[in-house]
Amino acid sequence: MSALSLVSNRTSQQALSNSDYTWEYEYYEYGPVSFEGLKAHKYSIVIGFWVGLAVFVIFMFFVLTLLTKTGAPHQDNAEPSGKRFRMNSFVADFGRPLESERVFSRQIAEESQSLFHFCINEVERLDKAKQTQRGSGLESNTHFQEVPKSSEVFEEDQNCLTKFNIPNFVNTEQNSSLGEDDLLISEPPIILESKSVIQSSHGILD
Amino acid sequence: QVVVPEEVFFTVAAAGILENLLVLLAVVRNKNLHLPMYFFICSLAISDMLGSLYKTLENIFIILCKMGYLTRRGDFEKKLDDAMDSMFILSLLGSIFSLLAIAADRYITIFYALRYHNIMTLRRALAVLVIIWMFCAGSSVAIALFSYEAATVIPFTILFPLMMFFILCLYVHMFLLARSHAKKIASLPTSTVHQRTNMKGAITLTIFLGVFLCCWAPFVLHILLARFCPHNPYCACYMSIFHVNGTLIMCNAIIDPMIFAFRSPELRSTFKKMFCC
Repeated sequence: MSALSLVSNRTSQQALSNSDYTWEYEYYEYGPVSFEGLKAHKYSIVIGFWVGLAVFVIFMFFVLTLLTKTGAPHQDNAEPSGKRFRMNSFVADFGRPLESERVFSRQIAEESQSLFHFCINEVERLDKAKQTQRGSGLESNTHFQEVPKSSEVFEEDQNCLTKFNIPNFVNTEQNSSLGEDDLLISEPPIILESKSVIQSSHGILD
Repeated sequence: QVVVPEEVFFTVAAAGILENLLVLLAVVRNKNLHLPMYFFICSLAISDMLGSLYKTLENIFIILCKMGYLTRRGDFEKKLDDAMDSMFILSLLGSIFSLLAIAADRYITIFYALRYHNIMTLRRALAVLVIIWMFCAGSSVAIALFSYEAATVIPFTILFPLMMFFILCLYVHMFLLARSHAKKIASLPTSTVHQRTNMKGAITLTIFLGVFLCCWAPFVLHILLARFCPHNPYCACYMSIFHVNGTLIMCNAIIDPMIFAFRSPELRSTFKKMFCC
């Protein structure tokens, strides 16, 4: 590499006995660089670069922590309230949103099983649509445990619930459209079983 | 010329290669980990492995040259040198694009959650990875061949901060959403942890981007200086710490699995199974 050849060219002019990294494929020659008559310190670029980098990282960190304390007001109005538990688990660990969804789904799946029996026809219809993607169906409740299928079950749950207008769940649907920004997954159980859900989300956080 | 001892170099390189190899093995063996998210983490592991491999091969090469098995100015060695340069640039580009893919995947998980499994199917994730790697391979070969021209150095060094900025924007948007929802949770009776988790999110985000920046930026600056001011004594002093920069890149290969792959409990349990049984 050109950079390596430059390094090697200067190195070869110094003692080679203890230099393990002499690289002598020279694409072009550089003359010796003299260090006479420098106004600033020799390593000023090095020091300046690292200080600048450290300052930038610390600045970024402080901006992020400031964001945690104060708020961007327009953000609060725009977001639906349904995403809160999911987001909490995401904040705690950026790396595993899907796993928190799975733990969450297990609990909700158990609670809504009775309602799900009404929706079996819907499920079978959606099954055929999903089989082209997944290659396997959602026949039974045991599949709730698997991560890729859990949110599909949620979609079907939610479709069924909106269709049947279950009185318990109607209150929670402030944003009743299944738009891309709505996580209605967590909407229904919040009012009814909020305590158990909070406990599960705290379990995810810790 | 600042010299890093050979033992340190080889240890760091070997540790990086081993760790990333383990991540790949774990994802391959556990069927539960055949998800787009883990495929992107694998892609990051592969590019880290390539970076460490490059440094190891270069060292071995230098030792062989010192011992006299290879001639120093032969054609074959020049071609080999070019091939290894392109492998290194492939590793850097692969790292950047893998990080971008991981950030985009998380973004879609959060903001398009209901349609995530329709948007991010396995096949699409694999197709995206293939496209990314083909692009990286093509541009790395091009950059290695034309490394002495300004036209390749400038886009390369602009790409780096641009990608970083884009990834930062994605994560900050996700972070803002998480924070606003944590504030909404504050109204519930039993939620006292949200402040701590927001701080934890800020720390995590800073670590992600800070590690990548600190490990790769010195090398990118080195390339810039080597191209534009090689005779300047200040620049020459900076370029004398080239091997420290190389070691930093290999440290990045060691740290990346820790902050991406090992965060997942599923992967950790796969590791335990692999070692204990």
